[in-house]
Amino acid sequence: MLSPYGLDIIESCLTCKMRVDRIFCDLNTAALQAFETIKYATAYPKGAVLFVEGQAPRGIFVLCKGRVKLSICATDGKTLILKIAEPGEVLGLSATVSGKPYELTAETIDPCQVNFVKREDFLRFLKDNSDACFKVAEQLSDKYNNACHEVRNLGLSHSAGEKLAKLLVEWSSRNGESAKVEPRVKLALTHEEIAQMIGTSRETVTRLFADLKKRQIVQSKGSTLLIRNKAALKALATNT
Amino acid sequence: MERAIQQSCFDCILRPDRLFCDLPAQALEAFDSIKSLAVYPRGTTLFEEGRSARGIFVLCEGRAKLSVCSENGKRLTLRIAGPGEVLGLSASLSGGPYEVTAETLDNAKVAVVRRKELLKFLRTHREACLQVVHLLSQDLHTAYDRVRSIGLVRTRRPRASRIH
Repeated sequence: MLSPYGLDIIESCLTCKMRVDRIFCDLNTAALQAFETIKYATAYPKGAVLFVEGQAPRGIFVLCKGRVKLSICATDGKTLILKIAEPGEVLGLSATVSGKPYELTAETIDPCQVNFVKREDFLRFLKDNSDACFKVAEQLSDKYNNACHEVRNLGLSHSAGEKLAKLLVEWSSRNGESAKVEPRVKLALTHEEIAQMIGTSRETVTRLFADLKKRQIVQSKGSTLLIRNKAALKALATNT
Repeated sequence: MERAIQQSCFDCILRPDRLFCDLPAQALEAFDSIKSLAVYPRGTTLFEEGRSARGIFVLCEGRAKLSVCSENGKRLTLRIAGPGEVLGLSASLSGGPYEVTAETLDNAKVAVVRRKELLKFLRTHREACLQVVHLLSQDLHTAYDRVRSIGLVRTRRPRASRIH
């Protein structure tokens, strides 16, 4: 079947095979059936903006496929990327629950499938389904944990070098790479976007990468980064 | 001045003004049975960042400082929590370690609920679970504000603005 942006659209949550591995989606049958009636399955191309920081909350966006960049913006236009959301995450959750404006801007970085639920429908759904309510609390806890982590990284790191090393250590600990002597990191972001993640300039990130390569701590192969000296990178990350 | 500890949440006159505490009678009764009240002197660490979550701490009276710490021991205050706030909520729900350190700033009266009992309570009392979702949303808003103030405001000013 032809589908937009090359995505294989999952029409029904009841038949979704990935459901069991995802915190929010793994609901009991009754809750899942209720969710099925209020959700709208939509497909977005790369670069689509799901919601903008400061906008009144319209509802939640459950990310089924693809990745989404979550960022905040200063009045002078400077952007800080908080997180790259992965499939299974619920976006716009706290704003939808509290009724306050969205705190972040969400922009797709791949073609994405998103299940949208209107605010009124979602609040009613939460009131009626305690299982879903509990899962939402778990998702919010996870997001709070991430926000604290971000505060710690931004507020307590001394230099851009330390922040970049921390980011690389974090990325290299995913996808079963942590046990390897020389873990590989697939760089899905540009230097500009990495700069926005650690609150520095694109030029600084390019210079820092050049320095890491010169010191043989990392080696780049296309868009893949090979961590050649894990201990040295960790030392940089902890500023020791 | 010494004050008598109010044993039951039903006797608390401040309850209607507090988001978490304003529960229906049945849920409040259940909460009353699982909480234990304690008075902590100023400067007590209620819980420490990185330690596995034991439970939640509902601040009945007094304030607590929430902070995060770097590997080098450098500390950053996240915010000051006031009476009515629930501390250690997200870690208790996720089962991970506490994300922050909470230290009392005054002599504080605290209702403590163990993690296991809290989870059971939330699963059986939907209203309480909804309150928790609201509380977590508020906490998240505050945390994002802090990220914004640290990450976007504390930047180097353009040279031109320093000349004037």
